[in-house]
Amino acid sequence: MSHRVVCVDSNDEALEATVEHLQSELGGFDAGFETAGTVAAAEELLTAETDAVVTEYSLPDGTGIELIAAARERCPDAGCILYTDTDPETIDTTELDGSITEYVGKGSLFGQERLAKLLRTTIESSTQRSYPLPQNEAERLANLEAYDLDDEELMASLNRTTELAAAHFDVPRASVNIIGEHSQDFLACYGGAENWDSMDREESICTFTILESDNVMAIEDVTKDPRFESRSESLVGMGIRAYMGANLVTDSGLVIGSLCIYDESPRPFSPADEAFLRTLAELAMDFIEMHTRARTTGETEGDR
Amino acid sequence: MSRDDDAYTFDERLPINPIQAGSTVFVSGEGFSSATDLARSMVVDSTAEEEGSLFISTNQTCGKLLDNCRRTRPGLDASRMGIIDCTGQDIGQAELAAQVRYVSTQSDLTGIGMKFSALYESLYASAEGGRVRTGLLSLSSLCMYVDLRKLFRFAQTLSGRIDSAGGLGVMLIDPTTHETQTINTLSQVADGKIEVREHDGDGAEYDGELRVRGLRDQPDGWVPFSL
Repeated sequence: MSHRVVCVDSNDEALEATVEHLQSELGGFDAGFETAGTVAAAEELLTAETDAVVTEYSLPDGTGIELIAAARERCPDAGCILYTDTDPETIDTTELDGSITEYVGKGSLFGQERLAKLLRTTIESSTQRSYPLPQNEAERLANLEAYDLDDEELMASLNRTTELAAAHFDVPRASVNIIGEHSQDFLACYGGAENWDSMDREESICTFTILESDNVMAIEDVTKDPRFESRSESLVGMGIRAYMGANLVTDSGLVIGSLCIYDESPRPFSPADEAFLRTLAELAMDFIEMHTRARTTGETEGDR
Repeated sequence: MSRDDDAYTFDERLPINPIQAGSTVFVSGEGFSSATDLARSMVVDSTAEEEGSLFISTNQTCGKLLDNCRRTRPGLDASRMGIIDCTGQDIGQAELAAQVRYVSTQSDLTGIGMKFSALYESLYASAEGGRVRTGLLSLSSLCMYVDLRKLFRFAQTLSGRIDSAGGLGVMLIDPTTHETQTINTLSQVADGKIEVREHDGDGAEYDGELRVRGLRDQPDGWVPFSL
């Protein structure tokens, strides 16, 4: 998988030297570099797939801090590094509102060497993400790619599963969610969940559910949970006050997403509730496995 | 050189075996007292002379912190020591030998992080072999000022820098002041944990007991220590 790095400096020579140095220092590390000389040009390059931004502080049309603030919106999982001679004591950090950015002094003794090492760790360990990743994240994402999830029949089966879940728990919303590298996608929905769009992974509750070793997570009240309380207003706005999710575990034992139910009022969930949702999640995963197997067999036979 | 040759070693008073370079460990104890002393001691009571040390201090001013460091290590050479003082009391560089940077409020994680990075670079350049130990005293205090997502990102960025520079990170946390979900989330940042409790039983000479979790080649069970 190639990593996308945006490098920004208004001095062409310095920019070229930085990229050349990073390319040689990073050796076998698969990284693609895009370059820009202004905040505006750099913002054009930012996408959800950007893995890192390395920027000078002082730029012709603004500052590196402004660019990093934009990156936090566009690619919240990306790592940001200020690579500059500007003294950190003179940099106004209030605009970033607590977001973290790395700093490497351009002129410092080990500046270039440290920049390369730090960039590598920042990308490989996703150090600037605001949520924990499963230990087998790379394997999990590779496994997810093996599944064919774009199919009407499969959708119909999964939609019925969400309907069953909602009816059993007497809730207005339920969904089957897939957790990708940077986002959460709603694969099948019941009730009000049908209007939901895919969201940044850092905004999703399920990104925590997939970490659960017993494959189920229940939250009686999102406004009282330290992981979600700071954005509980938007969750409650979506009709999510109580939540329970059970993981979709593949045949290889990896988790690709969750089956979830949402209630508009706080409510406790019993071990029996958890067990029931876990069983429904297994059923949903069976649908996905069977569909993918049928599709693979069909393709093989079609090739003959 | 194998990684074990790079491991960070501790004064013989601390019953902790060397810890692999690049690691971050939590020191966890109720009400802090002996846990704070242990965490601080793990950063300054090194058996190697030429290492750098860097503290992010949330509750103790740089002067007080330095005094405490000298209690367990009287001959401490503060010239390779850095302190990010987040107490809000800026007394200037004064006569402290350590390099001090001030951040006016604990909620300014961006400011703390950037000053930490810059000071780390400077210590990395001056310490023998770029060896720097970092102490964050304490993570729990920061938790009162910012939400968990920001704090997680901050702690993980710190631990990433420590990893990439082959340093040692020690982060102090009081488990009794947080909900389980907070502890579980933050714990993902650390390679291991050292739990601290009051010494139970005879032996007034002990300051407490510790138990190491999640790190290789460490003593089993609770072990008494004195600083």
